[in-house]
Amino acid sequence: MRLLFLQREELEPFVSLLIAWQEVVGPKAKKNRFVFDKLESPAELRLDYDTTILPPKKYFFQPQQDLIRFSPEGFTGCIEPKPRIIFGVHPYDIKAISMLDYLFSDGKKDWNYLANRQAATIVGINVHQVFKTAFFESMGASIVTKGYDLFLTDIGEEGFVVEVATDKGEALLAYGHFTQVTPDQAQKRRKILYGQSDRCSQKLFNLPEEVSEKVALSFYHPIWEEMASRCFSCGACNLVCPTCYCFDVQDMWNLDQESGIRFRTWDGCLTEDFAKVTVQGGTENFRQDRSSRYRHRIMRKAVYLNSKLGGPACVGCGRCASACPADLANPVPVLNKIMEG
Amino acid sequence: MNHPYSYADDREEKLITTEGAEREEENIFLPKPARVLQAQPMGRTEKYFRLAFSDGSSMGHQPGQIVEASLFGYGEIPLGIASSPTREGYFDLLIRKAGRVSTALWNLEIGDTMYIRGPLGKGFPVDEFKGHDVLIVAGGIGLCPTRSMIEYIEDRREEFGHFTLFFGARTPKDQLFPNDLARWREEIDWIEYHETVDQGSPEWKGNVGVITTLFAKTSISKGCRVIICGPPIMYKFVIKELKKLGIPDAHIYVDLERRMKCGVGKCGHCQINGLYVCTDGPVFNYARIKNLEEAF
Repeated sequence: MRLLFLQREELEPFVSLLIAWQEVVGPKAKKNRFVFDKLESPAELRLDYDTTILPPKKYFFQPQQDLIRFSPEGFTGCIEPKPRIIFGVHPYDIKAISMLDYLFSDGKKDWNYLANRQAATIVGINVHQVFKTAFFESMGASIVTKGYDLFLTDIGEEGFVVEVATDKGEALLAYGHFTQVTPDQAQKRRKILYGQSDRCSQKLFNLPEEVSEKVALSFYHPIWEEMASRCFSCGACNLVCPTCYCFDVQDMWNLDQESGIRFRTWDGCLTEDFAKVTVQGGTENFRQDRSSRYRHRIMRKAVYLNSKLGGPACVGCGRCASACPADLANPVPVLNKIMEG
Repeated sequence: MNHPYSYADDREEKLITTEGAEREEENIFLPKPARVLQAQPMGRTEKYFRLAFSDGSSMGHQPGQIVEASLFGYGEIPLGIASSPTREGYFDLLIRKAGRVSTALWNLEIGDTMYIRGPLGKGFPVDEFKGHDVLIVAGGIGLCPTRSMIEYIEDRREEFGHFTLFFGARTPKDQLFPNDLARWREEIDWIEYHETVDQGSPEWKGNVGVITTLFAKTSISKGCRVIICGPPIMYKFVIKELKKLGIPDAHIYVDLERRMKCGVGKCGHCQINGLYVCTDGPVFNYARIKNLEEAF
């Protein structure tokens, strides 16, 4: 592992030079929350954030992404990746990005996502403040060992221990003043990354693997009905999730009524018409009940995607729990209750 | 100190330019234009299309596979391919006028262009059917995707045992592919065809009743391989009849319909629990999905 050191006062000049070179996005304050947004100056960067409203997946899998441009002359694809540095990504979001990388590469490769992903450089940061509904420790997502190009560990007053993980990360070093790391600094890094294991207030009582096994057998558990009775089917839990990747595809004309775009937008399995089809003489909804949609979301995260990802498709960021207007999207109490029964 | 911009700029340029063309070739959303060779309204709201890819390439599908068909400015819908790969130089689709996209596609005429992605998904495992009697149970528009298998059996007749086809429509006016039906009624040497309608009409001389009433008209062998495709309600009643005949679940194949947006296992709409209808199906072995509550 290649470790370097960046003194605290060297952070600003480093980020400044990066901004002058490429688009840099990072956590910024927005009212009482944080968002990933383009940095105009290093002063806007808030590496002490708890979590952002939307995860950084929005840079690879945009809320609305053009797929095809068409006109009377023909049509062309819209794979036009833009180099971008995503600065200050928490480990749970890095883990979520790695999952999406896999899911968009699995089977037929989706270059509309992958090209954006390849063009991005990811700079990770350890979590300073834990978001109120986060449970990333329970999901094994408090520590990541891959999925980033540089990883910064804030070891206090002195500054940051910087892990250089890839060539893309190496390329950033030219923009900052990095020094050799001392054994003392390296030890502080280790303590911070590996020595804190009880910071999330939300906790699963069991390992994710145990949860998967039992939830798989709980298709007819009464809890789905119980929780979904208060669900608005709004899909907010889907929209803020770093591992949700369902989408809708639509066409739109330009004002000339001759040319236009085919684009995709984020979609959510909680919404009523997600699994609806037109059949002879009407419509058929394969997940008509709110409870079946509620169950689908938890099952997909806890069980269905395990066969592809080798574990649950949840990183415990806690965004769904805070986004839900009815306060029922938090998977922790649901999974704990299933495990009790 | 070296100028900090030069080194990294080169790297980025390389990353994008060397792989751009490759990505465009592999762009899973780009369709291929296909020319409408024939267009014929059928039934009350359906229209039959015969198409050929404008670049002269063949579909190269298995019976039972699907395509995403689109028209720019309107959108894309999944459709079962209605012709057999043994009939080269064209492929058939049937469009039911139901929503915005299907209506726009329905309105196409001979010489127009339709945009096609496919073939997609897994079709009927023809090798599993070879050497066995075959029963196809098709309800309504379910005749479309199964027609690809019916034609396949016709063209490679020596590879299959006794072939029986049940077709049910709501009324005589809802019957699809009238030329095919007329032929199947006559050509008894390769196909045993039985049909019914839910509601008759004064001119209708055939059977009236749900599709399961056709089981009384003939005998189906225990070793028969079965394909079922029709409206969601039909499956459980047909399967009940097949169980009475002692046909094992593993010899039954169901062809399912779902909402699909990508056709390549990403968008999530067609999922039945953990399975994707677009990539794991649309044809499933019944034994594999019979316990999935959301399947039927």
